[in-house]
Amino acid sequence: MGEILLRSENLNKHFGITHAVKDVSLEFAKGEIHGLIGENGSGKSTFCSMLCGIYPISSGRFILEGKELKVRTQVEGNHCGISIIVQEMGTLPGLTVAENIFLGEEERFMHGLIKNTRAMNKEAQALLNEYGFGHINASSMIEHYSFEDRKLVEIVKATYFNPKIVVVDETTTALSQSGREELFTVMNRIKNDGNTVIFISHDLGEVLENTDRVSVLRDGELVGTVKSNAVSADDLKRMMVGRELNSRYYRTDYDKTISDEVVLSVEGVTVPGQIENISFQLHRGEILGIGGLSECGMHEVGKAVFGASFDRRGSVTLKGGHAVKSISQAIRHGVAYASKDRDNESVVVADSIRDNICLPSLNGLSDRGILNNQKLGRFAQTNADLMSIKMTDIGQYVADLSGGNKQKVVLARWLGKDSGILVLDSPTRGIDVKVKADIYALMSDLKKQGKSIIMISEELQELLGMSDRILIMKDGKINGEFMRDPKLGEKDLIATMV
Amino acid sequence: MEAMKTKTVSEIHDEVPAVKPKMNSTWLRNLTPFFGFIAIVAVFSILTGGKIIRPENLSLMLSQVYVLMISSTGVFMVMTVGGLDFSQGSILGLASIVFCWVSHYNIILGVIAATLAGAAMGAFNGLFHVKFKIASFIVTICTMYFFRGLCKYITTNGPVPASMEVVALNQTWFKVLLTAIVLVVCFFVFHCTRVGYDLRAIGAGETAARFSGCRPDLTKFLVYTMSGALTGFASFINVIQVGSITGTAGTQLETKILIALVLGGMPISGGARARFSNIIIGTLTYCVLEKSLPMVFPVSATQQLVKGIIFLIVVALTIDHKSLRVIK
Repeated sequence: MGEILLRSENLNKHFGITHAVKDVSLEFAKGEIHGLIGENGSGKSTFCSMLCGIYPISSGRFILEGKELKVRTQVEGNHCGISIIVQEMGTLPGLTVAENIFLGEEERFMHGLIKNTRAMNKEAQALLNEYGFGHINASSMIEHYSFEDRKLVEIVKATYFNPKIVVVDETTTALSQSGREELFTVMNRIKNDGNTVIFISHDLGEVLENTDRVSVLRDGELVGTVKSNAVSADDLKRMMVGRELNSRYYRTDYDKTISDEVVLSVEGVTVPGQIENISFQLHRGEILGIGGLSECGMHEVGKAVFGASFDRRGSVTLKGGHAVKSISQAIRHGVAYASKDRDNESVVVADSIRDNICLPSLNGLSDRGILNNQKLGRFAQTNADLMSIKMTDIGQYVADLSGGNKQKVVLARWLGKDSGILVLDSPTRGIDVKVKADIYALMSDLKKQGKSIIMISEELQELLGMSDRILIMKDGKINGEFMRDPKLGEKDLIATMV
Repeated sequence: MEAMKTKTVSEIHDEVPAVKPKMNSTWLRNLTPFFGFIAIVAVFSILTGGKIIRPENLSLMLSQVYVLMISSTGVFMVMTVGGLDFSQGSILGLASIVFCWVSHYNIILGVIAATLAGAAMGAFNGLFHVKFKIASFIVTICTMYFFRGLCKYITTNGPVPASMEVVALNQTWFKVLLTAIVLVVCFFVFHCTRVGYDLRAIGAGETAARFSGCRPDLTKFLVYTMSGALTGFASFINVIQVGSITGTAGTQLETKILIALVLGGMPISGGARARFSNIIIGTLTYCVLEKSLPMVFPVSATQQLVKGIIFLIVVALTIDHKSLRVIK
């Protein structure tokens, strides 16, 4: 490995309570193409945004050629020799191709107050030709060109001034095969000039083929840096996903007996464009896991059971013959729902913990329609304490709580309502390990009390660890059913998912 | 590959950020409108040499309060749920005409008819807002013109007079009593039934409220109807004070309500920070301003100017920047 060009030292970024990048220290060599990979939300884009001056750094620093790098805007970043080609559209409509390329550098073509458009167009065209993108006319408006051509213009814009560091942030998804080839040629040219490319991509094959080294991030932390020719795509995957939790957090029993008593039956439920002809039964004291790829429709199943789906067909029937057609009916008959979209659907964030806990139970707490506010306060306090929510008092707004505590508020309100059926969509999403363990323990407790849980989750370990039975969905339909078994593994589930 | 490490439970537990205490600022914000009211009364008492707190002026001031306070109560609920209502002035005008007509037969029947007429106009607003999903301020600006148009059409041949008997009812104790009854009933409904919880939750986050068992569409429809009904009822007091109704009766009421509520500390975006006290402090502050300005600034142009400046200062001091969102 050659001389170090850029180094990050203990870099951190917080967005409110989210710790997006944690203590990342990385080195980038001169003349290298360095891959940066990780799952969504692992912090790779945030890392590069700090490098380019798009986000301010929370703590830590970047050292470029031995000197601390201090950039506050993208233009300052450019002047220090750092440029970025972004994931989303990075060109501005309403301007010509040339104006887009020289955005922020117009002064070069200014004579007093007059812009020399002709010189600008001429230079832009020369650059385009040099890159081999001669089919693009520098004086035309940018919106005349396709998405792919606009990306090519961006490549020119980001690299023509011979920057020391070029960040390519998931650009390839927008490009066809030939466009990608063009991009890789440009990347190699930058490398051969002794400069560095930071290449972010989800396509692991592409990463391994075009990089010298790869760094893997997970949950904002650096997992490790490896040589591209020494690892396989599977190795990278393992590093990316990792094992978040030890199995000891999950249930340890493998008792297969489930009550015969059916508490909920779903028959032929269809939500146009989302799920198709879904039927299953939920038993008393059962934890039913529903898994699949993120877009398989499993999240909609939760909404459908709760009566929250738009234009739902088929029937959802509870024990005792009550049909669920609306949210109010579902709540009245003891169905609880915790959404994946916690802030928008599970809790009213701009309201107090007290009000949030009381809302679903208002009818039960009232005496002929009249509410006793002290009684409500005690009710909220009791249930908040039961879940040990970290708060100043029950009057605190939910918006001020961390993700884990918000989820505890959600659970507290449904426990207070004494719901018999809990539909939990991604119950541990974005929640730290401690609260995760609490939630799993609570689920086991509820099971023992004879309550039934539908747990919808994208995490396979969680499904395997907690469920009595797992339904795997694919393209809006149920594609597989598995009973609880210590021998059941991720591979079995994945096989029915894709 | 060995670099892979996972954090221990205690390490991650320590990273959970501590909750920051915010009680003080909330307390202060809740009390600001009250201090504002005291300050405005104090300042204008000094500027007018104590004139505004003389009994004759106080009763004059009170005569403005009744209609404004009752109508504000309805709009307060509309705003809590996250909406706006600009049609109140026109509703007052039209409901007053209905009352005048029916009062010739029976006054009590007239009150009922005016309240129902107001409710019907409110329901019309609610229907368009909820059913056709049009932003409330657009719907109510349209109906403001629509109802006003009807008002003017009916009064083309001259003002509509009420029965002569109603003037006898123009007694301060009677008006105070009616207003107090309305306030007490609304306060009870807002604090001791699920209505208040529903309104605040929906105003704070409609989707989440729906997922908590509230019914936003029904609630909104009812709250507009209720707001119309209250202004319909207020038209009774309006008529006993003025005797007959012209085409411009009630003009600008909606602006007065809006200013009064904001002066009282009502968050424009509604939600959980709405307090019933906003109505009382707001309308009182507004009426003090309205009555004192002409005494201090005899020229009407200056009054407007000063009113504008005071309004801006109060809003800048009391507004909750955090909850400021796009008006629904």
